[in-house]
Amino acid sequence: MQNAKDTFYVALRNRLAILNPARQVEIRGVQRPAILVEEAEAPMKELPNDTFVLRWTAATALEDLPVRLMQLVCEVHYATSGSQPNAGLDRGRAMTEMDRELLDILTPMCAPKMSYTTTPATALATNVFWSEPQLAALETVRDQLLRVASIQVLAFDEPGEA
Amino acid sequence: MNMSDLSVRNTNDSMQRMTDAVLRAGGGSAAVLLIAPSPGDATDAGQLGLDAPNFQGLTLAPAIFRRTRPTMTQNQPATYELLISATAVAQQVSLLQLSSADALFSMVAAVNMGGLTLLIEEWACTVSLGTPMAYRLLLRASEPQSMTTDD
Repeated sequence: MQNAKDTFYVALRNRLAILNPARQVEIRGVQRPAILVEEAEAPMKELPNDTFVLRWTAATALEDLPVRLMQLVCEVHYATSGSQPNAGLDRGRAMTEMDRELLDILTPMCAPKMSYTTTPATALATNVFWSEPQLAALETVRDQLLRVASIQVLAFDEPGEA
Repeated sequence: MNMSDLSVRNTNDSMQRMTDAVLRAGGGSAAVLLIAPSPGDATDAGQLGLDAPNFQGLTLAPAIFRRTRPTMTQNQPATYELLISATAVAQQVSLLQLSSADALFSMVAAVNMGGLTLLIEEWACTVSLGTPMAYRLLLRASEPQSMTTDD
């Protein structure tokens, strides 16, 4: 299950780096694509703007198949307050841009499952695949626009997989 | 935010020194701020929670550490207040070549006070005549963590 989570994040991160190299954030002294796994970072006072934050929530095990199929729910939280040159008046356009980027990096809706506990990463036998995102209603908090997208991520638990 | 007093007056650092003296007299503690090392970990393992973050301890003193007035609410962690000398913060901001104290505090993963790990909830600056005197941090006790990794 952890390999599926890691694979999902790394796939989205690599796609974002290609799609929009300018969308970067500095986390723990490293400039990197503006996407992170909330549970793999230090607790934050508030989630960073202009960054996709992955939060894993529900998990369901489907045991009726020859191999257990794990269904995980990933919430992608993202927010923006627009840009300084435009004094934040472009926050609507910035949010639309992030919506589009999220939809683009989620396509294709699968990725080969990898294990990142080794260096280099080890390819596993199955794929991680996911559903279309459900974009929730936009939330407005003064000068900030926030949205949560929910994605169902599925992966088989391979025999011997940790 | 720099809110300098632009009036023509003879200014010196007496207020800052007095603030430091008050902080020493009121407790004289040292706060250890945990920040990421430089250069940071750019590997996949570092972004997936596999590698230890190797946070560095940044000691700031003088400081006063006290528990805030408790509001008895079930399952709410204890909150604390930390007052840190602005001169100590400014020194670290300069050493780390950061743009501001806000940049420093936003980098802090946790605060260690005598073995107690605390998370920063909010911070504010106490200013006199446009010059920061002290920084006030609102801290929350972190949840207990296991002593070993799950590898």
